Amino acid sequence: MKHILVVDDAATVRLYHRNILESAGYEVDEAVNGIEAMEKALQTPFDLYVVDINMPKLDGYGFLREIRSQDITQVPAIMVSTEAESNDRQRAYRSGANLYLIKPVKPEGLLTYIRLLLGVSTHIRPHLSNDKAIDR
Amino acid sequence: MTEITISEEDFRKFREYFYRKTGIQFEASKRYFVDKRLVERIEATDSEHFRNYFMMLRFDAKGDELQTLVNLMTVNETYFFREEYQFQCLVNSMLGEIVRRKKDNSPIRIWSVPSSSGEEAYSIVIYLLEHWPGIEKWDVEIISSDIDTDIITRARRGHYSSRSVQHLPPRLLQKYFVPSAGGYQISDDMRDAVEFTRVNLMEAADVRSYRGFDVIFCRNLLIYYDDMSRRQAAETFFDALNPGGFVCLGHSESMSRISSLFRVRKFPEAIVYQKPLGDL
Amino acid sequence: MPIIKQQSPQLINIDERQRPRDFNGLVAELEADDSTARRWAARDLAEFPESVEVLVRRLKYEGDPSVRETILTTLIRLGNPATMTELVECLRSEDAALRNEVIEAMKELPDEVAPIMSELLADHDPDVRIFAVNILESLCHPQVEEWLIKVIEQDPHVNVCATALDLLGEVGTTASRLGLEQLKARFAEEPYIGFAADLAIKRIDES
Repeated sequence: MKHILVVDDAATVRLYHRNILESAGYEVDEAVNGIEAMEKALQTPFDLYVVDINMPKLDGYGFLREIRSQDITQVPAIMVSTEAESNDRQRAYRSGANLYLIKPVKPEGLLTYIRLLLGVSTHIRPHLSNDKAIDR
Repeated sequence: MTEITISEEDFRKFREYFYRKTGIQFEASKRYFVDKRLVERIEATDSEHFRNYFMMLRFDAKGDELQTLVNLMTVNETYFFREEYQFQCLVNSMLGEIVRRKKDNSPIRIWSVPSSSGEEAYSIVIYLLEHWPGIEKWDVEIISSDIDTDIITRARRGHYSSRSVQHLPPRLLQKYFVPSAGGYQISDDMRDAVEFTRVNLMEAADVRSYRGFDVIFCRNLLIYYDDMSRRQAAETFFDALNPGGFVCLGHSESMSRISSLFRVRKFPEAIVYQKPLGDL
Repeated sequence: MPIIKQQSPQLINIDERQRPRDFNGLVAELEADDSTARRWAARDLAEFPESVEVLVRRLKYEGDPSVRETILTTLIRLGNPATMTELVECLRSEDAALRNEVIEAMKELPDEVAPIMSELLADHDPDVRIFAVNILESLCHPQVEEWLIKVIEQDPHVNVCATALDLLGEVGTTASRLGLEQLKARFAEEPYIGFAADLAIKRIDES
């Protein structure tokens, strides 16, 4: 079973994502901010991260930068944000996100992207340093 | 008086809040344990029912009620070799990295705070002597501090109950202690190895001279602090550490609820927190 | 066992300060090249209430997160309403880390934040309104639910409402119930809003 880490400071958002992902057969773990996410990601081999941007202590960009600088560079990450501006999108990709989604997330959309990322992640290196990949 | 009940959603709401504030997550199987303590506090605070109590807990600016709850929900006792995996991490992982970085022969400095009655600091000494080959080459200074002068006196005296030493292998008990007055007295060599000091972590004047440490053990203390005090304590540790130095927290504590100053480091034995090397 | 040696009684007394610890000395030190010196200056300025302006100005261009954290700690300790305008400016920063640090600091300043909360919740920038709701999460203030109800009743932006919903799931009372039902209807096409509103309503009804 694929194991997904949901990182968001809002409990309702975590629960929402958990319900969607569990109903699609994924195993889910949660973290409230980037530091807790680091603690968990360093101990559990997750298959994918779903990460909010604005969080206390360590935000989503910081988490991805940290995780990409450690050994876990392979795991695909979806960044979920309330911000629609294109420079946020670019910053997300520069931090190591594979996909940038705008909240509120629709269940079918999220699952489609996750299947896509989990499906292709073994064939391409998901660490995208340029801003072009998987945009729009 | 009507019986106080905690509904399923009340429990979930509380669990989420407690997790966000402390990092402690209750499994559904802990429901009875949690409910029982909540009811106890609802009665003790005359809150009548969960709703009133939860609002009081949430909007209590000083965080006293949360601290009371943390106390009730966690076990805080001190004994030799408590959370031994961190001492294993010290001798197997952290110290190796620290000595590789050292450019001179200056001593390795370890700070154990709060000292409580000394079990942690003495455990570190025993662990180093028994399990760290580097002790042949390197000097180590161990400083242990507490806010409470009475407990520091007890730590210096080094007399312990059998309960306190029950996790020590008999060989080590025999080597470093002598039976005395119904308990165990730690040897004078050990007492000389640790410097016990009085410190209030919140007091800038108290902590100003605490500098140049390589490892800080601060276990099961910050979880009882409010957000602001945690923040100040984390800054104190940051200033007290050498670049690349480590902080070890208790097993139910996480830096994710305390401060963003440190990086998460995973060693085979434990997760610890590291002051970044050099300026970011 | 002499390998572990007794520490000298006065520990270490390194005082690397280049300047005296009076107000002007510390303010000058806040511009030092060395981040440790800046951090110590920011910490020691907590003794000088008049330092808030200098600190909040430094905050905006301070690049070292550890210095920013200490500046904010000192600002929290000094608790001066004069810092609010500048802190709100930081919420508009491009730097996500700075924004989040400032949100955390503002949560610790209920008396200073409360008077400007209505203004923040009416800001033209939805991101600032979201941050205002984030601040409400830890703001120990009797008006919190009232503010949140106003958000879900009036704010046009789905994500501002979504953020308020999360909090209402925790602090909502029967006073929020109608607003929650209306919000569900207003964003009927958004599954998240339906989910979060239902959860909040369920919790209100059960308690």
